[in-house]
Amino acid sequence: MATQGELLATTRLRTGWSAHLRARPVALGLAGLLALFVALVLGVGLGSVTVAPGDTLAILGHRLLGLDLPVTWTPAMETIVMELRLPRVLTAMVVGVGLAVAGATFQGLLRNPLADPYVLGTASGAALGASLAVLIPVRALVLEFGLLNGFAFVGALVAVWVVYSLARTSPLSPLTGLLLTGYAVGSLLAAGLAMAMYLSGAGLRQIFNYLLGGFDGASWMRLAVASSLILIGTVAIGVRARSLNGLLLGEEPAAHLGVDVRRERAILLGLASLVTAAGVAVAGLIGFVGLVVPHLVRLVVGPDARLVLPLSALGGAILLSSADLVARMLGEIPVGVVTAVIGAPFFLLLLRRARTGYEL
Amino acid sequence: MDALRHRSRLAALAATVVILAACTGSATEPPTASSTVGPGATGTPTPAPSPSPSLNATFPLTLTDDEGAAVTLAARPERIVSLTPAVTETLFALGAGQRVVATTDFDDYPPEAIPLPDVASYTAVDVEKIVGLEADLVIAGGNFFNDPDAIARLRSLGIPVLVVYAPDLQTVLADIELIGQAVGEPTAAEDRGSAMADDIAGIRAATEALAKPRVFYELDATSEIYGPADASFLEEMITLAGGDPITTGSPTAFAIPLERLVTADPEIILLGDAAYGVTADQVAARPGWGTMTAVRTGAIRPVDDVLITRPGPRLAAGLAALARAIHPDLVMPDPSPSPSP
Repeated sequence: MATQGELLATTRLRTGWSAHLRARPVALGLAGLLALFVALVLGVGLGSVTVAPGDTLAILGHRLLGLDLPVTWTPAMETIVMELRLPRVLTAMVVGVGLAVAGATFQGLLRNPLADPYVLGTASGAALGASLAVLIPVRALVLEFGLLNGFAFVGALVAVWVVYSLARTSPLSPLTGLLLTGYAVGSLLAAGLAMAMYLSGAGLRQIFNYLLGGFDGASWMRLAVASSLILIGTVAIGVRARSLNGLLLGEEPAAHLGVDVRRERAILLGLASLVTAAGVAVAGLIGFVGLVVPHLVRLVVGPDARLVLPLSALGGAILLSSADLVARMLGEIPVGVVTAVIGAPFFLLLLRRARTGYEL
Repeated sequence: MDALRHRSRLAALAATVVILAACTGSATEPPTASSTVGPGATGTPTPAPSPSPSLNATFPLTLTDDEGAAVTLAARPERIVSLTPAVTETLFALGAGQRVVATTDFDDYPPEAIPLPDVASYTAVDVEKIVGLEADLVIAGGNFFNDPDAIARLRSLGIPVLVVYAPDLQTVLADIELIGQAVGEPTAAEDRGSAMADDIAGIRAATEALAKPRVFYELDATSEIYGPADASFLEEMITLAGGDPITTGSPTAFAIPLERLVTADPEIILLGDAAYGVTADQVAARPGWGTMTAVRTGAIRPVDDVLITRPGPRLAAGLAALARAIHPDLVMPDPSPSPSP
C-alpha cells in the first residue's frame, strides 16, 4: 500500500510547465477563473440568434447592475440573454461543478480510477425514473420541474441507497462489495429502462433526449433549485477533503490518521450521490466530465483532495459550459458528444506526459 | 445482521416490484391513445368562449388545445411559428401562410413554406430562435412530437403555444378548425373542414359495399417490419378506404413479427416506404414473404405515405389515394374543389 508521500511522488510530472503549475496551485486556480469568465462571456454572447456584443453587455449591465442605459435592443433580445442564455450557461457550470466533484469523490472513496459519478447506479436509477415518468400520462410542474426531473432525482438516490444497503451486508471487502453491487443493480435497472423504452411509444424520443443529456430546459428557477443542492453538497464534500485524503490511503492508514472510516465513507458517498442526482435531474446523463476532469486535475497538481476538489469544480464548470456552447452552435447536438470530443484528446495528451506510473 | 440482510432483500424486492409495476401499468395504458389527449380530441371542434362558432374572428380569445391547456390570444396572431409539417400545411391552406415566420427543417409542402426559417428538427426545438423571431403564436405537435420541455419553456416566456395531436380522423378535422380559430380564419377552416368531411363521406360510401381485402401497410422493413399499430390512425384510414387492416396486435407495438404477417396473409401490400426506394420486386425477393397472397398475385403497390399519414388538410386526398390503391377499379366521387394556397 502506497503512502501519501509515495503517491505524491508517483504522479510527478516531468514537463516544465506542469511542474511549474503544480508548485503554484493558486496561479492555476486564477487561470481557471479567467477561463471560466471567458466561457461565461462567450456563452451569453453567442447563440442561434445574433445579439451584438455591445447589446449583450448593455443588457447585462442594465438588468444585473441596474445601469440606466439607453435601450438599443429589442425585448426579444433581452429575453434571449436574460431568460435563456444566462441561466443556461450558469446551469452548465453548476452541473459541471457537481459532476466533477462527485467524480473526484467517488474515485477517491472507491480508490478506483474508472469510478465516475454514475458508478454506484445513479445513472441507471435516474434513467429508469425518467423513463417511468414519461410512461405516466400526468403533466405536473413543481418549481418548474416536471415529473421526469423529480423521478430522475429520486431514482438516482434510491439506486445508490439500494446499492449501499446491499453492499454493507456483503461478505466482500467494502470497496469490492460496493463496486460489484453497483454493477449488478445497475444492470437490473438498465433492463427496466430497456423495457420502459420498449413500451414508451412516442415518448421514446423524450427518454432518448434525457439519456443524451443537455441544458435545453434551463431556467432561473431550475437553476436555483439545482444549484442550492449541488453547491451545498460540494462545499460539504470540500470540508471533508482531509477525510478523503485519508480514505485514499486505505482503511487502516485512514483509521490510524483518526478518520472514522465507515462514517466518513457513508457521508461522502451520500453527499456525492446527492450532488450527482441533482445534476442528472436537471441536465440528464452527461458522461465524461465526472470521470476525466478529476484525473486531469490530479495529473497536474497531484492527488491531494484539498487541491483536487476545488480545481475539479473549476475544471468541470469550464469544460461543461464550453461544451454546451459548442453543442448549441452546432445546432443542439448532444453535449456529451462534445465533452468527449474536447476532453478525450486532451486527456490522452496529458496521460502521455505523465511518465511515472500515475495512480490515484 | 440477519435483520439487516432481510431489509436489503426487501429493498431489492421493492425495486423489482417497481419495475414490474411500471411494465404492466403501461401495457394496459398505452400512452398513444387516450391518455395524453385532452377534451379537444373527442371529435367536435373545441368550443371557444366566443359564444357561437362566429364567422368573424374575435380577439382576445381563449382556446383549449388537444392536451387540455387553455391558450389565450390577445390579438390576431401576425407572427406564427409552426412546429409540424401538418400544421404548416393547414396554415397555408387556410390562407394564413403570409403570417407564418418559421417552420421545421423537414417541411416539404407547400413549396412557399420550404424557404422559411427553420426552428425545429426531429429532435430539438430552437427556443432562442423562436423568441428572436418575436413569434406571437406557436403551434406545436402533441404526444411528444415536439419536446414537451420546449413547449413549457415557450409558455413560461409568455409565448402562446397551441398543441395539436390527432389520434383519429375526426380530430384531424377538429384540429383544422381549432387552428383556424387560433389564427383568425374560422370561416376558411370551417369550409375546409366540411369539404374534407364531405370527401371522406363520399369515399366511405363508395367503398362500403365492396369486399374488404386484407391490407398490410408497410411503413418500413429495413430491420424490423413496421406497420400500423392497433387502434392507430393508419388502421382507421385503411378501414375507411375499404380494406381490412393487418396490425401489429397491440396499440404500443409498432413492429410486426414476420410470423404474424405470414399468418395474417395480406392480399394487398402497400409500400409506404416506396419513397425510400423500396420496390415490389424487393419485397417479393425477401425470404419468407413468398407465401403471402399479395406476393403471389403481385398485389404490391407503392403509395404516397406523406399524403396518407400526415394529419393535415390534404388528408381527404390521401384517403382517396389509399382507396384507389386498395381498389384500383373504384369509381370515386369528384373531390370538392380544394382552395389551394
